[in-house]
Amino acid sequence: MYGGLDILQSTFGIIPDASELREDEFFSVDDVSFELKRGDSFGIIGPNGSGKTTLLKMLNGIFMPDKGRITVKGKMGALIQVGAGFHPMLSGRENIYINGAILGMSNKEIGRNFDSIVDFADIGDFLDSPVKYYSSGMYVRLGFAIAIHCRPDILLIDEILAVGDIKFHYKCLKFITNNILKNGCTVVFVSHDRYAVESICRKALYLKKGKMVKMGDTLETIGRYLEDVKNEEKVSEKKSTGNFDAQGITGVIFLDKEGQVKKQFKSGDAVKIRFHYSFKDMVPNPSIGITFRHHDPRFTIVSSTDNIFSLHSGYDGLEVSQLQGQGYFEVSIDCLYIPVGVYTCVVCLYTENRMNLVRLYEEAGALEVLWKDDKPQRSLIELPHRWTKTPEAAV
Amino acid sequence: MFGELYDFHELIWRLFARDLSAKYKQSLLGNAWCLAMPFVAIGTFMYLNHAGILHIQHTSIPYPLYALIGLSIWQIFATGLNSGANSLVGAGDMVTKINFPREVLVIASMAQSVFEFLIKFGLIIVFFCVFKYFPSWKIIFFPIVLLPLLFLTVGLSLVLSLLNGVMRDIGNIVSLLLMFLMFLTPVLYPVPAKNFLLLKFNLLSPLINAPRELMTEGSIHQPVLFGVASVVSLLIFLMAWRIFHLAETKVPERV
Repeated sequence: MYGGLDILQSTFGIIPDASELREDEFFSVDDVSFELKRGDSFGIIGPNGSGKTTLLKMLNGIFMPDKGRITVKGKMGALIQVGAGFHPMLSGRENIYINGAILGMSNKEIGRNFDSIVDFADIGDFLDSPVKYYSSGMYVRLGFAIAIHCRPDILLIDEILAVGDIKFHYKCLKFITNNILKNGCTVVFVSHDRYAVESICRKALYLKKGKMVKMGDTLETIGRYLEDVKNEEKVSEKKSTGNFDAQGITGVIFLDKEGQVKKQFKSGDAVKIRFHYSFKDMVPNPSIGITFRHHDPRFTIVSSTDNIFSLHSGYDGLEVSQLQGQGYFEVSIDCLYIPVGVYTCVVCLYTENRMNLVRLYEEAGALEVLWKDDKPQRSLIELPHRWTKTPEAAV
Repeated sequence: MFGELYDFHELIWRLFARDLSAKYKQSLLGNAWCLAMPFVAIGTFMYLNHAGILHIQHTSIPYPLYALIGLSIWQIFATGLNSGANSLVGAGDMVTKINFPREVLVIASMAQSVFEFLIKFGLIIVFFCVFKYFPSWKIIFFPIVLLPLLFLTVGLSLVLSLLNGVMRDIGNIVSLLLMFLMFLTPVLYPVPAKNFLLLKFNLLSPLINAPRELMTEGSIHQPVLFGVASVVSLLIFLMAWRIFHLAETKVPERV
């Protein structure tokens, strides 16, 4: 209802005092400031409802800030919602022209880029069917393809790539880094996919409930965000007992070489994984398996059947004829050379022979592998290595 | 102001073409449906007149022709205002997710109602032939005399579309008022000899009668009244445009 009052006031040139909130109002984004230059890539992360989209809309000029100032130079392109303005009854071809015009392209520009748009969207035979028959992925692909072809100086991208399939996802990320950023376009990128933010953005902003929590180097900012998420998880962990019950495997913990319980390890660290058990009845010939699942979906695509890393006490030769009471199994890994990232693990309990699976614990635990040190050259995995030099004359 | 409009003429054209072609999707008659309303309305009025319920005074030209021209002009205003007032809300995502001058939406919906008039104009020509009535040569000035009505429509639409974005009641009020406003405006009947206040001060009355009189008889009966109404319309339009620009940014967050 304040809207009507606002219109009335601005009609008569009264600028409402925006620093005071009226009842039921709230500041969606508060006290956030940053500066970007040409060719910068800027990521915005934060939990749902933290004001990321509102911030983008203000940058785009859809909303005006009630307080503060936004100065933008250059043509702005925004992908806040892909396919906004698509007419469901009209064909993809018609919608390309309409959407292009809405995004500020002239007819000539659209005509020139038409083939390239269709090619990028990869919608094939559906070009002439009404967009209401499109799959949600096709919808997004077409919208994205149109938007990136308006050649903006500043591109705002809201969490929109999530809908497309993996293939398109990578095509987009590649296009953003190889074409858009290389051409000196500034990109502001909002995403929940930390790997996408990592690969695109050089700087990042972590928003929480409209407030700026951290801004700076992408990895540090993401690190701060993940820390917060983990702290919240810890609180919720206490509430539920997890997937474990009193019988069988009762818990999994990760220890470093000093015997401290940890959840974060650096690539190459020594790790001990301890499996606590508790059996009331005699269990014949038990063995334990653990499988690590990487949180980055890219790894699942690379190998859908093979896991990144798994261990099995039975195959590793640990023979236990029978087991009763409480205790723990432990497996020591001298050097944890697995790809960096967040892992959840699945723990399996087998009896009698190595194939007789009696219990499977999903999400039994989580650990994160970090980069070993802050070398400028970072790769997903580290391997122990050493360099030598042999002068030719010595041969 | 107009420079910005020119910059976006392609977009206006695209939006107009979009709505136009969308009307033919899953519809056999598409835009031809706009002809249905005049037929039904004129038929009803002729029947009521014939049955003696209404007493429509004698018109200087055949009544169906008189009513058709009046109704067609009226509907530029009525459909223009109705779709204009709903244009921002109807655009949905576009308004809240993309930044572009919003008035193009209002103007594109206005263009739609002008286009519908052109279709009806075809029917008017048919009626001219059927009743063997030859229009005045001054019909060439018709578009100019129609301008004040267009300004009024766009002006009101701009303000109403904003208000509708904030309070959806506006859309309903507009369509309700339009229905009764038609009966209170000499559209389907000539101006009665006794000058009722409501008819006298109805801004729309001269704006609709003047183009009709010009088309059929070649002269405007009340040029002063028409002049005043035109100036008022233009003022409303300019004020509305200003309001729209000032309040435009307040609306997307509430649509």
